[in-house]
Amino acid sequence: MHFRKQGGSNDMLNFSILERYIDSYLAGFYNTIQSSVLALIGSFVLGTVIAVFRIAPVKPLNWFGTAYVEFIRNIPLLLVVFFFYLGLPSLGITLDGFVCGTIGLAVYTSSFIAEAIRAGIMSVPKGQTEAALASGLTYLKTMRHIILPQAIKIVIPPLGNQFINLIKNSSILTVFAGFDLMYYGDIINTDTFDTFSTYIFVAMFYLLLTIPLSFAVVRIERRLARND
Amino acid sequence: MIFFREVDKHYGDFQVLKGINLQVGQGEVVVVVGPSGSGKSTLLRCINRLETITSGELVVHDVKVNDRKADINKLRRDIGMVFQQFNLYPHKKVIDNITLAPMKVLGLSKKEAEETAMYYLEKVGIQDKAYAYPSKLSGGQQQRVAIARGLAMKPKIMLFDEPTSALDPEMVGEVLDVMKTLAREGMTMVVVTHEMGFAREVADRVVFMDQGQIVEEATPAEFFASPREERARAFLSRLIAH
Repeated sequence: MHFRKQGGSNDMLNFSILERYIDSYLAGFYNTIQSSVLALIGSFVLGTVIAVFRIAPVKPLNWFGTAYVEFIRNIPLLLVVFFFYLGLPSLGITLDGFVCGTIGLAVYTSSFIAEAIRAGIMSVPKGQTEAALASGLTYLKTMRHIILPQAIKIVIPPLGNQFINLIKNSSILTVFAGFDLMYYGDIINTDTFDTFSTYIFVAMFYLLLTIPLSFAVVRIERRLARND
Repeated sequence: MIFFREVDKHYGDFQVLKGINLQVGQGEVVVVVGPSGSGKSTLLRCINRLETITSGELVVHDVKVNDRKADINKLRRDIGMVFQQFNLYPHKKVIDNITLAPMKVLGLSKKEAEETAMYYLEKVGIQDKAYAYPSKLSGGQQQRVAIARGLAMKPKIMLFDEPTSALDPEMVGEVLDVMKTLAREGMTMVVVTHEMGFAREVADRVVFMDQGQIVEEATPAEFFASPREERARAFLSRLIAH
């Protein structure tokens, strides 16, 4: 990255950069969306599975779930992605920066999501599980039809936070040449040397994703609350 | 149908059930009474393995309930259960509360399951609430839905765990009436309750428990007129004193 102090106050925000580099911004924006959506789905599915592992009445699954969460969430995201980027080739698997970054992001975020979902599941009254099990439903069907739909309402706000974090964290792809928004920002910056304007526009594109998501979370929260 | 032989249950050092021997035959209505903390609910919950026993033998429908190889889900299909706190699914409409298990466990089609659900809702007298959410219903109505939900699986046994204890007094009657009808129709029922009037009227047998033991087992006529055991006498006199 190249930084340069701004000169006069007239060129505080240079909109011609946005105009001139719009294709680059959009390419990065698109990749950031793609990586975020994939990581979001991946982390949600993975997080749900791990959450169920942690509370399932099977000891080895509990241990695995706990180890997963404690291990993953307590190391920096950067190192998690490093593992996929540098560790996997030694096993003969080589993936590009975009894929590694997205997988790393999904795995990292899933440990936080697992904790949020677990807390949600624990907050559903025990009588719900008992009623479902007593009617002959299997443990998995009880989870799917009775517990998870109720837990999800409780989990929506913390989940929303995790998803917003995920979008922002997707800038980790930059380190691994993942062609995301931040990566293009860096390229544009080396071209323009107008660091301030370049990254303000980068920030704007991030906000374009995260602010609607914030509002969506609030709306979903309200709608789900209606039936209680 | 239900057969306890020398059943013990411990929670850590605390023994909740001590040497329980009890038999419930087909079509029988057995009412379990006793002071709180006497192990009544635990006894009931062992029958469908919501609680596991520590030792002894418990056989339901020829299935050893605590055998590792027992297909507990299959056994539970035939045992309906009604809880003190109703435990309706708050995120599902009344009708969906009732159709869930028939569809997901027995594999009924949605149409069949809804017909069955409406039949039982009518039976408990609240078919007009079929498309409401449980939170819109009174306690008595919720408990009747819970009974309909249990019946929709066409169980061979119904368990009632203090079904009226969480209800306002004016709603107790409507729930007991449904249970009386069921008893008259020949359902095998095990009922944990404090409603002595119900026990007197419908029970084939009354089981009195105290401190994890079955202290006395008798017909309601015998039990209420002249309990043999001192503890049962004390329990009954306390109830009448109110």
